[in-house]
Amino acid sequence: MATVPAAAPARPAPARRRRRGPILPVVLVAPAVALLLLFTFAPAVYAFVLSLLRVHVSGGLLGTSTETVFAGVANYASTLADPEFWASLGRMLLVASVGVPSVLILATLFALCLDANRARLTGFSRLAIFLPYAVPGVIASLLWGFLYLPATSPIGGQFIDYFGNTTIFFAVANVAIWGVLGFNMVVLYTALQSIPRELFDAAQIDGASELQIAVRIKLPMIAPAMTLVALFSVIGALQLFNEPTTLKPLTNAISSTWVPLMRVYSDAFVNNDIYGGAASAFTLLVMTVVATVLVNVVGNRLSRRSAR
Amino acid sequence: MNKKLLRGLAIPLAGLVALGGLAACSTSGGQSDGSGVVNLTFVNWDNGMDKVVDAWNTANPKIQVKLIKPSGTGYTLYNKLITDNKAGTNPDIAEIEYPAIPLMISNKVIVPVDKYISSLDNYSQNVLDRVRFEGKTYGVPQNICPLVFFYRKDLFEAAGITKPPATWDEFAADAAIIHGKNPKQYISNFDAASPEWFSGLAEQAGANWWSAKGSTWTVDIDDAATQKVANYWQDLLTKDLVAPGPSWSTQWNTDMNTGNIVGWISGQWAPNQLPSITPDTAGKWAAAPVPSWTAGDQQIGTWGGEVEGVTANSKHPAEAAKFVDWMNNSEKGIDLLITKAQVFPASAKYQSLPALKTPPPFMSTQPDYNALMAQLASHVRGFDIWGPNANITFNAYSDAFGKAVQNKTSFQDALKTVQEASVADMKKAGYTVK
Repeated sequence: MATVPAAAPARPAPARRRRRGPILPVVLVAPAVALLLLFTFAPAVYAFVLSLLRVHVSGGLLGTSTETVFAGVANYASTLADPEFWASLGRMLLVASVGVPSVLILATLFALCLDANRARLTGFSRLAIFLPYAVPGVIASLLWGFLYLPATSPIGGQFIDYFGNTTIFFAVANVAIWGVLGFNMVVLYTALQSIPRELFDAAQIDGASELQIAVRIKLPMIAPAMTLVALFSVIGALQLFNEPTTLKPLTNAISSTWVPLMRVYSDAFVNNDIYGGAASAFTLLVMTVVATVLVNVVGNRLSRRSAR
Repeated sequence: MNKKLLRGLAIPLAGLVALGGLAACSTSGGQSDGSGVVNLTFVNWDNGMDKVVDAWNTANPKIQVKLIKPSGTGYTLYNKLITDNKAGTNPDIAEIEYPAIPLMISNKVIVPVDKYISSLDNYSQNVLDRVRFEGKTYGVPQNICPLVFFYRKDLFEAAGITKPPATWDEFAADAAIIHGKNPKQYISNFDAASPEWFSGLAEQAGANWWSAKGSTWTVDIDDAATQKVANYWQDLLTKDLVAPGPSWSTQWNTDMNTGNIVGWISGQWAPNQLPSITPDTAGKWAAAPVPSWTAGDQQIGTWGGEVEGVTANSKHPAEAAKFVDWMNNSEKGIDLLITKAQVFPASAKYQSLPALKTPPPFMSTQPDYNALMAQLASHVRGFDIWGPNANITFNAYSDAFGKAVQNKTSFQDALKTVQEASVADMKKAGYTVK
């Protein structure tokens, strides 16, 4: 009985907190949400609306009346029915299948090397690996283009056809890999640095070698960061555009629809069909979201299992 | 005229186009302030055009023209004009190449100028056909750019060839001689990245990609004449007698400059570009007519050539037309175009102006360069009409022929692909296609 009066005044406090509570988070989150809605969701919705329209020309030889009419799912149907769309997805996946594992493996390797006890010149090496990330993708692609072409190649372009039907995938992936490697390496290196040093000391006292420490302790502990790197790389691969677009004028091996985003660009800005481009873009958006969720779920499962 | 100049850069810079579009939104149509001066805006990418505009502005204080350099050339610009047209922000006057005029008309970007211009009698029917549709004239033609064969005279002579090939058979024979003497050398390249290079060759061969009757279109891109051209080049490629790479690539520029590629089938405007492509070879090039299919046949196609059109957004179409007429259809204007922008005029009356006695600087060893142009221009032949979606055709050509060269597959199939893509797009848009 005596506890009742004591408990009673306590009650309004959480109520008051609850009343005041919702306002502050909302205020704090509002700018981010507003920007997200304005610059991500609104354009996506607009693209979706555009994707349902098409141009209809009538009246005379050169179409004296041009109107925009509702097309239903016709644009989607023609995107999905176009074998070239699937071929472009296939090419993108091929580049990704070269690029994503390479980035993951090389970034992890470089991060572990830099983190090793015996590593010297770490500051310089870190910068050297990170530097290509600071070179704009277009410039990097042009530079690699010069390196690949027989007329200007210092790396054997006279003997190896870097723009052959198979080599082209490696050539494009190579440009992309060096563009993102440095950033991902830093992500992993930061994760390694945040592991308590006592763990390594303990392992060393127990007689573990550097290699054993790296494989048995460091790798499992940075697994979540590696998932993140994989996610970045997959999303990066889905957005492949700069590298092949810049290399295109140098070779017949890259068409205007070589990867899906190039197709969107060429539909909208070369063929002047914004509506078809919007449908391709929206299809790709859905695929990107699905792929992102998948990688996230699978990655989380894997890192949880290895943590156990 | 220098349409290809920025091409190599155009694609890498594509991302900037969007930004350029935003910036250009502020340049709305002509404004007239209280003083009675009409201010016009004029979008054009040709080098030297600023001097022509300056001369007009000095002579016409009441109509002042402001020149705008577009962020992208060719279809990058045309697509922007189509988009901006809906927003009403287009400049008053725009440079448009012949193949894009039907596209510009069907999107209502440009308007007829008949009521503002007194006479176009200085032009031949052949040229007027390129701008006159259903009885209305859209813009005033500026230049005509016949295909021309440019070749390294010194290297041809070194290979024992004393005169340029007169027929395509001779061209193939010369190609074999040149490549036989030095396996690194090629007489030219097959340019899968330049649709208008190929359409120019098809025009010469007698192809008629588009024709119209009433409001019904006929599309015949894989006709017999075009197939002949395609087969001819595929044969040369299969025998490794021409280089497979696209023009304006780093590889091609280097090969042109080092003498590994010793010829270029190009347009009248090439001497404007050669100094940047092959800076080390000035004075070693000569221009000759493109080989013909039968000896003595002088028919030739074109590559490039432009019209100055008045836009639907212009609030002062009469003044805009007056400027355009002065620039392209008066002795004073054309004289400036020739001397400042190395233009070869479309207007037949002015194709022998004194200014044309001087060849472009790069062709200084060939004083009769412009006489040759005049001769070629009189034998120019085009398709009946350019399709309203030539951009689709051009893009399909680059993709299909690029792929065929890369994979060594049939050019016939590539032509079929281009034909089908062009027809499908026209039907989808609502045009009547036979």
